[in-house]
Amino acid sequence: MTTTVFLQLVTNGIAQGAMYGLIAVGYTMVYGIIQLINFAHGEFFMFGGFGALAVYLWIPPVQHLPLLAALPIMLVGGMIASVVIAVLAERFAYRPLRNAPRLAPLITAIGVSILLQQLVFLWYPQPGGGKVQVGVNAPVQFPTFAGKPFHLGGVLIQRANLLTVIVAFLCMAYLAYFVAKTRTGRAMQATAQDPDTARLMGINTDKVIVVAFVLGAAFAAVASITYGLRFGQVSYDMGFSAGLKAFTAAVLGGIGNIYGAMVGGLVLGIAEQVTTGVLANYHATQQWGTAWQDVWAFLLLIIVLLVRPQGLLGERVADRA
Amino acid sequence: MALLEVRDLHVAYGKIEAVKGISFEVEQGQVVTLIGTNGAGKTTTLRTISGLLRPAAGRIMFDGKTIQNTPAHQIVSMGLAHSPEGRHIFPRMTIEENLLLGAYLRKDAAGIAEDVSNAYSMFPILGERRSQAAGTLSGGEQQMLAMARALMCRPRLLMLDEPSMGLSPIMMKQIMDTITQLKSSGTTILLVEQNAQAALSLADQGHVLEVGRIALSGRGADLLHDEQVRKTYLGEE
Amino acid sequence: MADKVPEWGSASQPRQPDTLSAQPQRNAAVSPALAKALIGLGALATIASTFLAWTWTTSFPGDLSVTGYPGGNQVITLVVGVLLLVALGTAYGLPGLRWLAPRGHVRLLRGLALAGAVSTWYILLAVAIELNGIANWVTGSWVALTATALPVAGAFLLADDRHEAARPPAALPRWAQTVIILAAIISAMFIADYGITTSFTEEFIGFALAVGLAAWGLNSSGVLARLTELNARNRVATSAAAFAAALLFVFLQTSDQYNTIADDILIFATVALGLNIVVGLAGLLDLGYVAFLGVGAYSAALVSGAASSRFAHTALPFWAQILIGVGVSIIAGVIIGAPTLRLRGDYLAIVTLGFGEIFRIVVNNLNGVSGPSLTNGPEGVYGVPDLSLFGYDFGKPHVLFGVTFGKFGNYYLLLLVAMAIVVFIYARVNESRLGRAWVAIREDETAAEAMGIHGYRFKLLAFALGASLAGFAGTINAHLLNTVTPDQYMFSASSPPNSAFLLAAVVLGGMGTISGPLLGASLLYLVPAKFEFFQNKQLLLFGLALILMMRFRPEGLVPNKRRQLEFHEEEVAEAEAHAVAEADASEAEAVA
Repeated sequence: MTTTVFLQLVTNGIAQGAMYGLIAVGYTMVYGIIQLINFAHGEFFMFGGFGALAVYLWIPPVQHLPLLAALPIMLVGGMIASVVIAVLAERFAYRPLRNAPRLAPLITAIGVSILLQQLVFLWYPQPGGGKVQVGVNAPVQFPTFAGKPFHLGGVLIQRANLLTVIVAFLCMAYLAYFVAKTRTGRAMQATAQDPDTARLMGINTDKVIVVAFVLGAAFAAVASITYGLRFGQVSYDMGFSAGLKAFTAAVLGGIGNIYGAMVGGLVLGIAEQVTTGVLANYHATQQWGTAWQDVWAFLLLIIVLLVRPQGLLGERVADRA
Repeated sequence: MALLEVRDLHVAYGKIEAVKGISFEVEQGQVVTLIGTNGAGKTTTLRTISGLLRPAAGRIMFDGKTIQNTPAHQIVSMGLAHSPEGRHIFPRMTIEENLLLGAYLRKDAAGIAEDVSNAYSMFPILGERRSQAAGTLSGGEQQMLAMARALMCRPRLLMLDEPSMGLSPIMMKQIMDTITQLKSSGTTILLVEQNAQAALSLADQGHVLEVGRIALSGRGADLLHDEQVRKTYLGEE
Repeated sequence: MADKVPEWGSASQPRQPDTLSAQPQRNAAVSPALAKALIGLGALATIASTFLAWTWTTSFPGDLSVTGYPGGNQVITLVVGVLLLVALGTAYGLPGLRWLAPRGHVRLLRGLALAGAVSTWYILLAVAIELNGIANWVTGSWVALTATALPVAGAFLLADDRHEAARPPAALPRWAQTVIILAAIISAMFIADYGITTSFTEEFIGFALAVGLAAWGLNSSGVLARLTELNARNRVATSAAAFAAALLFVFLQTSDQYNTIADDILIFATVALGLNIVVGLAGLLDLGYVAFLGVGAYSAALVSGAASSRFAHTALPFWAQILIGVGVSIIAGVIIGAPTLRLRGDYLAIVTLGFGEIFRIVVNNLNGVSGPSLTNGPEGVYGVPDLSLFGYDFGKPHVLFGVTFGKFGNYYLLLLVAMAIVVFIYARVNESRLGRAWVAIREDETAAEAMGIHGYRFKLLAFALGASLAGFAGTINAHLLNTVTPDQYMFSASSPPNSAFLLAAVVLGGMGTISGPLLGASLLYLVPAKFEFFQNKQLLLFGLALILMMRFRPEGLVPNKRRQLEFHEEEVAEAEAHAVAEADASEAEAVA
């Protein structure tokens, strides 16, 4: 295997990992504050892609813009879709269960996840106009960049991949600023560390929780659009495995730690691409390549849980359980 | 009219009633203390006043307004600060950030900056370590931070829950001296303490809680000399 | 020692007056005698109406056009009418019948009256709509419409007499208890049988409406609670009766058609019960449970002698297949559980979810192209031979006691035994030291550890036991379906068993109970199978059902007493936490 091929794998891994990281931020913020694994976060991610696509398809002038100019408009649509869904889910499904035993909100989250997936599925055009075929994985086409990839040495950099890394960087920079420098950001940190005392400081913790859901959903919407651009499609069930990977990334980086989420995402993305790429490169291990990608990611999760359950950067969850 | 008025307060955890109808008042400028053994309901009472718990029955009036159904964060904005039992500083934030959170509801940047420097002059050690994570402080220093943080909202009533808990005698004295200082500067304080001697000697008014009820009330100095109190709470035979 | 409850806190609380029984008498304008007469008259007329034709044509399914005997949904109306007469007996205070309404007979009457009326009106409405017009009603339709309305009017004119259950009457003689249990369970079996064998949507909806409303009446009159108590006191008799009733089901079937449904329900319910050990008893959320069913099924199929198996020439006896299936499932369970169960509970949920997905990918990949050849990829292992035990070939029809058993009838018998084994294990474990340790861990792991319960070991045991039971069921499933494919074992799919449905069955039925998952599994299987409308929206509705269940009735349809307390008195936990905090404080003080 040449260095170029290896660097190519790493490059692809960074783009993939940046997307995981963007989704993982949402898991980790919500977990850090209310200790809930929001299973529906993958569906918030999926809604973002469909929201953006809806803007693209239903507002014809957008289609005639160059894609780079259309993207900000699509982004607004995607963010609205996933943020609205996230706020509704928080208000009507999770908030009433805030003091319930831990199993209850987890099961609710699964319910929300299934419900959202199926809601989108209801809108799927059915071949022949017949009955909906449950379980049919029918992706919907998403616009992609027409231009050629960039060359850096021998390494190809796809336009969508470059964009993914740039927006992920911008998002993380904003998040770092938000959490450390703004009043709401500090309130969020305080709520994560000690919710009761945060209330004694005059912080409306219910509002802080909503902010965490909103930010997470907005980031997921960004991730979803980069997914659409990179793969040229979105589908109603894309949130399941992307959500699973992103949660793995969050655990990998240390759950509750927002920088950890991005680091975990990058590590997972690179590890995934390099492992499958290297395996596929040699004749003896060829068959263990691409088809096994998710299996290797899962193994990585198990290994991390075994040797460093607090994650790479350490978890930031007050142990109040 | 009293600044804080608690009328026939009942608080229950599920079916277990921890506070069974207590009433007391805190006048402007007074220091009032609640003393009593573990499980007497002192902390529960404070947590209910500050809105972290909801009473099963009874009334809480602060500055003439009924607050027993007001959310905790709004009660703070009315000028009622609560420094909780066990200090509960934010361990992964710096000392300065902790203080700024105490002023979360205030918008006057200049006033906040002034109060921060006041806090540092009151507790110099905090000033020296202002950018250190609060979790690295010793117990006594954390208690100082918790009190300073509670003062950051310029409260009209300061509630202190067990400020001397788990502290060395020297530290304990320093904390009690600070409370005396606050008293002489005119701060209204509701103090919960297990160290009855210290609490009663600086309080204008004292109430002795026993399993959720007020067993005895009186002026701090009187209670300090009450035979029953001396036997039960000051460990004298 | 039950009455030595800690006293503090109760002293100042005077006993609340019984507000329920002190309700003012409403509707006093109509004399109760008249209302009861109305009910009686209505019930008799209802019964009579079922012997008349409700429409003139046979084009409405179920044939309602015959005069002389009840047909189709008229049977439901007839049964409800008879029950109403019995319930009226309680209102008149007939000796022996008062047992049926310990918490008041009016709700019982209301429930039954509504059951008869709503289900009958629904059918009449369906006749009018589907056959285009009320013109399709005949005299009998009008009789039925009026007759079923009368008891509703009567029952709602009676003032509500709901009150706290009177102290249970002097214990009945043992034989009477047994008779009651047997009668209750056999009736339940007949109801289930009717539901399974309904042949058209309208029939099932009418049935479901009647059963639902009648169950509401029975529940609020307190008779269900009394039966539950009776069952709990006569565990052996109940289990035997339930087993006998389940056996009776298969003897009632004239064809194998409905046995397939019953088989599917049994498999589904057995696996749900296994999951209930993990979720309901030990409080571990396992979202990849169906993968263990898959592990068992694949293990058995591979060594069953199926021609498409990698080991086509290995045909081990069934007991050996079970051993292998269970063994491999346990190994998988320990591999998944060992690293995760040390951590906070939420990690388990996500890891098991991942495992469920990984299992599907792995068996898809082990096809000889994208991985070693083992599972034959997406096509799966097919041609798994039918079981043959002691010379009894499950694939061939047999005649037992004059009844012909087809393939699915045969498997029904086997599945019944399998379920009995799982129920037995569940019950034994629940009452043992092990079960109590799980409950302790579920409620407060830190406290349990402090009492010397080794949390990790017990959790791993629960997880492995759950895995082994699913593996066991899987070995049978492989033979029943003759095929094992990856897409039978997914997190969510349109038909059970899959992990989402299994969890839903446990949650809907009631965590930590035996009858809950059985009921949940039956409902979750039957409702989509019988409702055409549901077919493409069932996952959507299940998602919604999970959310609503957790919000409004987290303890499920059949609540476990301890669980119910847990869900509705979260304040208790807060009180405990607070007590711990105070204790810590005093300790700290002591140190200082």
